[in-house]
Amino acid sequence: MRVTQGMISNNMLRNLGNSYSKMNTYLDQLSTGKKINLPSDDPVVAMKGINFRREVASVEQYKRNTNEVHNWMDNSDASLDKATQALQKLRDLAVQASNDTYDSEERENMMEEAKQLKEHLIDIGNTKVNGNYIFNGVNTDEKPIINDDGEVEIEHNNKKVMIEVAKGTDMQANVNPEKVFNEEMFETIDDFIERLGGDAEEPINQSIEDIDEAINNTVNARADLGARMNRLELVENRLDEQEVIAKATMSENEDVEVEKAITNLITQETMHRAALSAGSRIIQPSLLDFLR
Amino acid sequence: MSSFHGLEMAKQALFAQRSALHTTGHNISNANTEGYSRQRVSFQTASPYPSPGMNRPGIPGQMGTGVETGVIERIRNKFLDLQYRAENSKSGYWEAQADSLHRLEQLMNEPSESGISHTMNQFWESLGDLAANPDNSGAKSVVAQRAEALANAFNYTAESIESQRSNLESEIDVKEEKVNSLVRQIKGINDEIKQMEPHGFLANDLYDDRDRLIDELSGIVNIKVTYTESSESSPDIADGLATIELADSHGKSFGDADNEKTVLLDGTNGEIQELKVHYSENEGEKGAVSKITVGEGDKVQAFNAENFAASGSLMGNIDSYGYLKGEGDDQVVAGGHPELHQDLDEMVGAFMKEFNSVYTDEGAQNQDFFVMEGDTDSGQAYSIKVNDDILDNPGDIVASEDGYGDMASDLADVFGESLADLDGTSVNKYFESLIGNLGVKAQEANKMNQNVDTLRSQVESRRLSVSEVSLDEEMTNMIKFQHAYNAAARSMTATDEMLDRIINNMGLVGR
Repeated sequence: MRVTQGMISNNMLRNLGNSYSKMNTYLDQLSTGKKINLPSDDPVVAMKGINFRREVASVEQYKRNTNEVHNWMDNSDASLDKATQALQKLRDLAVQASNDTYDSEERENMMEEAKQLKEHLIDIGNTKVNGNYIFNGVNTDEKPIINDDGEVEIEHNNKKVMIEVAKGTDMQANVNPEKVFNEEMFETIDDFIERLGGDAEEPINQSIEDIDEAINNTVNARADLGARMNRLELVENRLDEQEVIAKATMSENEDVEVEKAITNLITQETMHRAALSAGSRIIQPSLLDFLR
Repeated sequence: MSSFHGLEMAKQALFAQRSALHTTGHNISNANTEGYSRQRVSFQTASPYPSPGMNRPGIPGQMGTGVETGVIERIRNKFLDLQYRAENSKSGYWEAQADSLHRLEQLMNEPSESGISHTMNQFWESLGDLAANPDNSGAKSVVAQRAEALANAFNYTAESIESQRSNLESEIDVKEEKVNSLVRQIKGINDEIKQMEPHGFLANDLYDDRDRLIDELSGIVNIKVTYTESSESSPDIADGLATIELADSHGKSFGDADNEKTVLLDGTNGEIQELKVHYSENEGEKGAVSKITVGEGDKVQAFNAENFAASGSLMGNIDSYGYLKGEGDDQVVAGGHPELHQDLDEMVGAFMKEFNSVYTDEGAQNQDFFVMEGDTDSGQAYSIKVNDDILDNPGDIVASEDGYGDMASDLADVFGESLADLDGTSVNKYFESLIGNLGVKAQEANKMNQNVDTLRSQVESRRLSVSEVSLDEEMTNMIKFQHAYNAAARSMTATDEMLDRIINNMGLVGR
């Protein structure tokens, strides 16, 4: 086939152009760290990429939610702990008071202390965390226990606060307030205060039993909470693992293997230099150099 | 034979070699001219002497009488031209497609941290945060803002698609004008050739010009070129006048329902029929290409985009820009850009409907979360907005109904639910496949573009192999002709010396 200088130089230019465009691709890959820059580079990778990003986002969202639940539970636990302590104190008072050796002045003092402990328990029942009342079911913006100068008005919402911690898995974050800070408990305390004012011993013994019941309720609620906290920990562990897997999958899908890209780039560079060198050797000399 | 015959023969030889040298010089000067085919002088032997007849002389014969220049012809293979133009039109089409799909991909910008899917994820996350903190006014504000960001992302994408479409429209107009302009120029050359050929000349440079214009035209629309004689007295090997018709992918002429062929330029009578692209004025058809006409008045032929079989960069642009497909009630606007826009509209419409129905159905709010504002004819993606009431008072967003943040939770679920309006897929999956489809189309266009381009350069290579000037070859020829010229001059000297002997030295005995 007849080959002219024009053809050779066109060929050379076209091959150099191809070589440059390959180098450009590898350069893009190394600079962005991604195998693909446009969906057309690999449509399946692109589609999966969108999917995996969503996976990672959703795992991160669930982790945030578990933090939220953790927050609820930790605070509930701490509050119940304080409540238990307060009730213990009341019980001690009751035990002391049931001992007839105290006179009315000392009983007055005890009454004051009991009143204070009642206020304390009301405060605990109205615990607010991050602007939410944690002992009022889903009505987190309403104060559940109103203290009207000693008169206690309780309006509880009993609905469970359910927060999604994994796909399709809702977990109850709160404690059912009706089990702990209920009217019975405050009636018990009121009765106790009354009995302290009176003289009879028997009633105060009765208070010990009643307070014991209140303490049991609190302890039970805490146990239930504890079980849920354990489950939450398991969910958290699973989410941590899922996060790692999701990120790893996303990375495997679209991230470029740096060693491969660098090797390709170097190989291409070498070929490019060879092409440049060979091309320039060929297109330069012509017959004119040799004619007299 | 005459005594001065030798001189005459040498003189003819000198002229002949000189014209060959001149042609070689012309070739060298035009070595880099685009589309130039090398020219060659074909020498012929002059009529030998004596010719037969009753009065022929009784000398041994026939004796050659030297050289004469035959024709100066260009070395070109018409068949390669045919192949090149076929590949060129395909290349034009796929290049246009690859280019516009590339631009669409860049517009959609996926997968990335700044595309629609990222914005959807962020909105989804904000709803998730709200579900865990339904009374938090900060979380509600974030939801409102992220919703607005999502609506803006949809608006912007729709706008960008339309703006690219209007760029395509300009390109189509430019190409239409180019086609007509090229045809006019070819006609101009036809006219010049018509004046040249009857004199027995081969208008080589004009042929080259015409071929270059025809090559360019073939990239825009696929054409078929036939040649007719310009006159009785034209040389037999003259190219003649070109007639240009539209051709389909098999290289055959086609016409509309009533005609067999569509002629852009008729070489025999110089008539030109102009090509014109018509756009739809109807509402909802977005100015799509309604038909393509060739010619005017009662000779007009009309094609719709589907049966306009002449591929090329014009059709490539029209396919991307959008054209009317189908008849009557089934008529739709088809094409790369409009279809993408429609898919996006479908997704946004279904999303908006479901989201609003979850927000207003379960709750007592009588307000839609998302509304359509502004030019609603331009589609859902273009006009989706967050309800102003919600933007002004994000604290009014209802996040819980029967439970704790359950409304927000249900709203977040809208992204993953199968929607009837999307044929059972979810918004997330629909968007994924939208991008996937775009990627596949773009990948195909890129591959086809590469393939056809390779084929085209192969044919171009063969063309060049035949027609391109090789400087080395011209140099060698130059030496050849130079030697021949010198030798002819020498032979003239020899003849001259012989004549000198006869004229000056014969019959002078003893002087």
